[in-house]
Amino acid sequence: MAYNVLIVDDSATMRALIRKVLKISGLELGECFEGANGREALEILENHWVDLVLSDLHMPVMDGADLVKALRENHMWQTIPVVLITTEGRQDVLAPFFEKGIQGYIRKPFRPEDIKEKLQNILGEAWVPDARELEGCDF
Amino acid sequence: MLESLKAATFEVLETMFFIFPEHLEESADLFHGPGLRAWVPVEGPKKFRVGLTVPLPLAREMAANFLGLEKDEVPPDKLEDVLKETANMVAGSFLSQEKVPEAFYLKPPQAQHLDLDDQDWQDNAHHLLLAVDDAGLEVFMEKTK
Repeated sequence: MAYNVLIVDDSATMRALIRKVLKISGLELGECFEGANGREALEILENHWVDLVLSDLHMPVMDGADLVKALRENHMWQTIPVVLITTEGRQDVLAPFFEKGIQGYIRKPFRPEDIKEKLQNILGEAWVPDARELEGCDF
Repeated sequence: MLESLKAATFEVLETMFFIFPEHLEESADLFHGPGLRAWVPVEGPKKFRVGLTVPLPLAREMAANFLGLEKDEVPPDKLEDVLKETANMVAGSFLSQEKVPEAFYLKPPQAQHLDLDDQDWQDNAHHLLLAVDDAGLEVFMEKTK
């Protein structure tokens, strides 16, 4: 199964980096959508099927907290796995998001292996078992 | 507090940029010519900002490493974007290391170009001066209004 992934981050550079990491991670990648904030993410979700959302937390216009809330309140989107990719590392800030239904978080700065390991844990058997190893990849 | 800032900076530079800075014992003769500064306002019960200043060649090297490009392939507009994201990560890591209460939050990063020859590079309690090969790198944290 190819996964359609939505990357939400106000930094185009960070979105490009995450997209690049996903491509070499071994995830069977379908379409890869990008939004610069929560509002853009919801507009994409209105028009496209998405299997996984990777979202920043601190963003202008509509932040990651409001995006998670909107996803969990909508019956069409409430089961989509959400992983936060964020500079936020304070546990007291992140803990409530698990109650709101996120599947995990990856703290920036991250190594490509961090994304791979987190998505392997969340997506489980959807992972391509003989995926290209990240170590030594030049990207 | 500067130790946490230093640890945060080293973590970000080593993990995301494969750059290994050294602490500058003396100041400042590594800061010359056109430079780029990026910072993140932190708001809450008190306001301050966390940021970095680098000479443009180092900004270009950082962007190249971050984006997986050759230095001469980096689009000029990406220099600011990469340094802003760097400041964002340093600030986030710093807040975590200092266990700053959740009432403090990060605002979107900002950046400006500047002439490094016009700046005061004396060591002080609000910044760290680091060296990456023959380029200087300033990390600062200062109160704002």
